[in-house]
Amino acid sequence: METVLGVRGARHSYGATRALDGVDLDVGAGECVALLGPNGAGKTTLVNMVVGLLPAGDGVVRVCGGDPRVAATRRRLGVVQQSLGFPTTLKVGELVTGAAVRAGASRSAAGPVLAELDLTDLAGRRAAKLSGGQQQRLQLAMALVADPRLLVLDEPTAGLDLPARRRFWRLLAHRRERGTGVLITTHLIEESAAVADRVVVLDGGRVRASGTPDELVARLPDRTVIAKTSIGRARLEALPGVVSVRTDGEHVHLGTRTPEAVLRVLLAEDPGLSGLRVESAGLEEAVAGLMNRGAA
Amino acid sequence: MKVFGVELTDELRGIVREPAALFFSIIMPVAFFALFVSLFGKLGGGEVPAGTAMLATFGAFGAISVVLMNPGIGVASDRERGWLRAKQVSAVPIGVTLTAKVVAALPYALGVLLAMTVTAAVTGVLDASPGAVLRLLAVLVFGALPFALLSLAIGFQVGPGTAAAVLNAVLLPSAVLSGLWMPLEIMPAFFSDVARFLPTYHLGRLALAQLTGGPALTHVLVLLGTTIVTAALAAVSYRRARS
Repeated sequence: METVLGVRGARHSYGATRALDGVDLDVGAGECVALLGPNGAGKTTLVNMVVGLLPAGDGVVRVCGGDPRVAATRRRLGVVQQSLGFPTTLKVGELVTGAAVRAGASRSAAGPVLAELDLTDLAGRRAAKLSGGQQQRLQLAMALVADPRLLVLDEPTAGLDLPARRRFWRLLAHRRERGTGVLITTHLIEESAAVADRVVVLDGGRVRASGTPDELVARLPDRTVIAKTSIGRARLEALPGVVSVRTDGEHVHLGTRTPEAVLRVLLAEDPGLSGLRVESAGLEEAVAGLMNRGAA
Repeated sequence: MKVFGVELTDELRGIVREPAALFFSIIMPVAFFALFVSLFGKLGGGEVPAGTAMLATFGAFGAISVVLMNPGIGVASDRERGWLRAKQVSAVPIGVTLTAKVVAALPYALGVLLAMTVTAAVTGVLDASPGAVLRLLAVLVFGALPFALLSLAIGFQVGPGTAAAVLNAVLLPSAVLSGLWMPLEIMPAFFSDVARFLPTYHLGRLALAQLTGGPALTHVLVLLGTTIVTAALAAVSYRRARS
């Protein structure tokens, strides 16, 4: 598979704070990779490198083999930002046509993309007057109009209702079939599991895990034991079979693939154990577990 | 060139579709000029009649106010709404986008100057050859460049509301101290001492020199130096801007 994005050893610091510490990442043609991680994990810094806003330190970032800090390379790149306020004076059609020309495509490329995203009837409207969902479609139209090889989507469905989200992902699936690679950052873990071929978990500026959503879930706990206990965190982390420990108010959440064994030890060591329940763990628990491991 | 055309067209659309901004940028300086020439335009005593000299000084004020206010507030608004970031990650070198912002302000400046010229002619205070007037217009339009760069430097650092306040705080005292509203000859000596250090003063004097035939080299050199300094300031400010 052709690589449309290659990141090797990306590093960046803000003063004394290291935001990225040697990150490697690849996105192939037609592949969708979801970048997950808590706030401050380094996702935004990495995305800023990929779109050419930041240097990669002593690492390397290549989009279709070119440096994204060079304007010509960015012709192969489409970007959808989490939040974008359009100029109050420009119309939908003008923005998409302008995006086409800026990316080296012809003006006539705007028409089909406007139609694809159901924006043709809105072409004469001021962009700032559109609804949130329409503005998000407009951003996608501007990103797609020059047929980019890599799409970078930063929380693209934040604020969209469910039908709008489904529509968004259908449109993207169509483009992926044509070979466009997609890098998406999102907090919606279950959504990313549904659309991404591969998930990369970033925490503390490092890649903690990478694989298909199913691989990550399989690698990590499939059950979460939840209880109120007086047992200390250090002991909980040392319990056989426990792979993640998370506290939620008075409760602790223990990720494990052997819930029966964990329960036996808890009951033996803490006679006052209460609020006990066992739940299935999904990708969210897997990601929490991965970050927990990384912190350990 | 095609890309620059798109950037410039977008900027000009922004100007034409915001008539309120047009009012404050063109009508206000011209109205101010009309008031002063009607009161003092027929006075003599200088190398050129007062009304003609005012075309140079008020013209400098009008051109500076247009190029100082527009690009800076524009770039501050773009930055605040995330639009500057969208431009930065597009395939257009950011220099092209910023140049379009500055160039788009020039028709505004020319509009102000033409309106002032017509006002001076209609009120009968214009006493200069067409060639001198054309030179005056060219000097004021191109001489306003360092102020556009200063405007960008400020716009990269603050929000649009603060940018408007800061730019006004730069513009109005500079205009008064440089004798762009009232001749320095009738102001306290302190004003003349300070004025020599202000680029606004040198643009006004360079414009006046087109009418009087007076020396221009010092003013040109000061404005060139100011352009280099403000270009460096704008570049540093851009690199430090949070998009």
